Amino acid sequence: MPDDSEEILKTRKFLKERLQTDYSTFRGHENERDNIRQLLQRTAEMGESNSMLLIGPRGSGKTTLVNAVLTDLMKNKDFIQNTLIVHLNGNLHTDDRLALKSVTVQMQLENATDGKVFGSFSENLAFLLACLKAGNKRSKSVVFILDEFDLFCAHHNQTLLYNLFDVSQSAQAPICVLGVTCRLDVIELLEKRVKSRFSHRQVFIFPNAEDFDEYVKLFAELLTIPSEKQLKELADRVGTLKHLQSSELTFHRSHFQPSKYKFSKKYMEAWNKHIAELIKTPSVVKSLQALFDFDVSQAFLKIFIFRLVCQMQTSLSIAEQITAEQITQLTAIYEMDEKVELLCGLSVLELCLIIAIKHHSEIYDRDPFNFEIIFSRFHKFAKVSSTMQGIERPVALKAFEHLRNMEIILPLTATTCKVQKEFEMHKMVLTYGQINQAVQRYQALPTEVQQWSQSSLI
Amino acid sequence: TRLAEGTPRRSIQLSSIVEQRVFNDDDIINTPKRSKARKSIALPVVDNVKTTEDDEEYTPKKTTQKTPSKGRRSTTKATEAPATPKTPSQKLKMIRSGEIKPTLEKRDSLAGSEKGKTDLQIARERLHVSVVPKSLPCREKEFDNIYTFLEGKIQDQCGGCMYVSGVPGTGKTATVTGVIRMLQQRVAEDDLPPFDFLEINGMRLTEPRQAYVHIYRQLTGKTVSWEHAHALLEKRFTTPAPRRVTTVLLVDELDILCNRRQDVVYNLLDWPTKSAARLVVVTIANTMDLPERLLMGKVTSRLGLTRLTFQPYTHKQLQEIVTGRLQGSEAFKGDAVQLVARKVAAVSGDARRALDICRRATEIADAAASKAAEKGSKDTQQCVNMLHVQQALNEMISSAKVQAIKNCSRLEQIFLQAVVAEVTRTGVEETSFMGVYTQIETIAAFMGAATPTPGRALRICAKLGSERLLICEHSRNDVFQKILLNVSMDDIHYALKVNNTN
Repeated sequence: MPDDSEEILKTRKFLKERLQTDYSTFRGHENERDNIRQLLQRTAEMGESNSMLLIGPRGSGKTTLVNAVLTDLMKNKDFIQNTLIVHLNGNLHTDDRLALKSVTVQMQLENATDGKVFGSFSENLAFLLACLKAGNKRSKSVVFILDEFDLFCAHHNQTLLYNLFDVSQSAQAPICVLGVTCRLDVIELLEKRVKSRFSHRQVFIFPNAEDFDEYVKLFAELLTIPSEKQLKELADRVGTLKHLQSSELTFHRSHFQPSKYKFSKKYMEAWNKHIAELIKTPSVVKSLQALFDFDVSQAFLKIFIFRLVCQMQTSLSIAEQITAEQITQLTAIYEMDEKVELLCGLSVLELCLIIAIKHHSEIYDRDPFNFEIIFSRFHKFAKVSSTMQGIERPVALKAFEHLRNMEIILPLTATTCKVQKEFEMHKMVLTYGQINQAVQRYQALPTEVQQWSQSSLI
Repeated sequence: TRLAEGTPRRSIQLSSIVEQRVFNDDDIINTPKRSKARKSIALPVVDNVKTTEDDEEYTPKKTTQKTPSKGRRSTTKATEAPATPKTPSQKLKMIRSGEIKPTLEKRDSLAGSEKGKTDLQIARERLHVSVVPKSLPCREKEFDNIYTFLEGKIQDQCGGCMYVSGVPGTGKTATVTGVIRMLQQRVAEDDLPPFDFLEINGMRLTEPRQAYVHIYRQLTGKTVSWEHAHALLEKRFTTPAPRRVTTVLLVDELDILCNRRQDVVYNLLDWPTKSAARLVVVTIANTMDLPERLLMGKVTSRLGLTRLTFQPYTHKQLQEIVTGRLQGSEAFKGDAVQLVARKVAAVSGDARRALDICRRATEIADAAASKAAEKGSKDTQQCVNMLHVQQALNEMISSAKVQAIKNCSRLEQIFLQAVVAEVTRTGVEETSFMGVYTQIETIAAFMGAATPTPGRALRICAKLGSERLLICEHSRNDVFQKILLNVSMDDIHYALKVNNTN
């Protein structure tokens, strides 16, 4: 069906793009969202100064929430005209000097020209503070968004944080400081005078771990094609983003454009029906439950779905697109043990050494070992075996070094002291279960080795 | 006050060294540009060199360059007004000389007008920390203390020091600036000899020595390097001059100004001892025993024994502060304010905290009132009651650790339980991943859940570590990493027990 294949190609593109670049759609957490929106709105409209912390585990959608709130506010003319948005990231702005330069550029102060800031660090700070002090309720509100807020706490003396919070608590230009972090105990990182100036508004975002049905619904929602009306609404919402003028916030530039896509009604219905049926299949529910047990965050689910969508092929019909088998297979990949895979790729000699290490660890209760200990144990086995005879010491040493380079065994101390490499003590970072699994799964392992791995007696 | 202006700007020796350096390094770049831009100004060329070197050590050089370039400029372009700077470096120069006033962009539309505001909105505005009242309630004694000290020093025309301490949010800076305002008012009424007021804050400086620059800037409006500023201030305070007025210097966050050498603190406290200086220094810091604990003997000796400690607010005082702000407004119920005051006074006695909580309570009440209005019920009374305050307190004081544990995925919860089990088993707080993994296998088998592979368990561990429910090492150490529990065991039991029964 050539007609369908074109649609499927389009669907794949649409789904992928929506998964990856839809930065501003945030689901759930209405109260928190309202809270942040009202805070920013009051800062913009009434000239109030505020500070707030947004806290939640990684992948819970903190940045998406901020983006969504900004997108909501883009409809508001007052907000666009009366605010400057300054975006800082703790990973990029690793000290106050860099952060300050970025602030100066983004606020377009007098001592910045074309993204270049003049003057020394202390001059920049003094000038910025003078500017903020000169401001009053009639000047534009400044919204500071501090991503990775906990890293700003590590700066020298917390000068930047102190000054931002201080401005927000004194009669100067109206500013709003919005910190975003994943650390729950971030307030304890603040110095006491910084802590006192912070307003202690904390908004917590936790992904919902109670409701599995919600998770399945989300899975379906991320795979279904929206109706024409919904697409139009989305396109309108994304359209307002063009008002966002910020040199540092870039999410709107490569944002997902729903207006580019148009699906025929018949196809859309067929596809959505297929997805609706899919989530009723018991094996799919079971797979999703396994994912849900591991990680409840949306980000994790999105990556999973992306891998699923990548498997769509134009040559197949709708019913064969995203099948229950594919989902089960993909879940199985997630549950695989990488270390065991790694072990199965080793040579028999290397595996023998690992078995020798295992025997040593079992006997001496995970005592550290060096090459000599392991080689003598291996040699005892090699002498009586028919396949491993005649392996020279340098060959075994090379295999041992290979294990070390793969970090299956780790040296006890990080520093390489003057010990010869045959005598350096090591520890093994595998559980016995992993070794047993590897021995079972190893292709064409000599029976002798397999038997030896069961018991250290020869 | 303009005495320091006329002082010679720099020594000839320094400037000649700088000239040499500039010409040697940038000979090739400089000469063609100079000839090209001969007619306009040679300034940008010199300034390019300046701006590429932001290091502190070059600061003296920067200033020394000013003279020749200024001179050249005045001869060639004497008539041109410096109103519109063309190049960034010119702009920077004007900023340094204080000709450009720092400004912020103005908003297009005015912020909400005074009318049309509800009771709650007015209350919220009055409760903002930035709205400092004319006279601080509950700080009358401290006010009088500082007032008499400063008044005496100004009238006697001598110098002196004072040390004010107290935990954050107890009205130290507000009281001192209030005293200064009062004194300035009296100067305006010719009741008191005039005085200068300077103010620095340790946390607004990038390093202690920048204090000189800030003081000098407040005296003259010019920005110079700290060495230069130090020399000029030294000159100002040590040489006697007729008609010198008293200077009051407020030093906030004194502990930040203390470096190892303590030269800045020493200087700031040594100048008042000079008879020519007529300098009164008021220092503010948090810790009561800072002079004994951190400062050198000679500095402590100069700081003197005139000290004042601001006690944390008691619940009665906090209540008075909040009701003082609310004056006349009916937005708050009396017992609501009392609850805030009692809760905050029990924790820190921080006035900022009490005001912030009250402000949050008005927001909650606002939302509730608008919700009631939406429903069409007539009970849209705009008043903050106990329930709103209770909600605000919960939001701003409580921690969310239990909530976080409840919202972990199943395997994450098993991991936390396993850590608890391992800690109970070994009796040591610090556990290793290996032991925890054995516990996971047991617990998962017991609960009938699939055991995660060690790799996935490490991922879970890293995730819990990033949330700070656990404290763990880098996962480079793999199964040998040490794991510490960052929440109490009871929290975990509580979160998971309550979770299970629901």
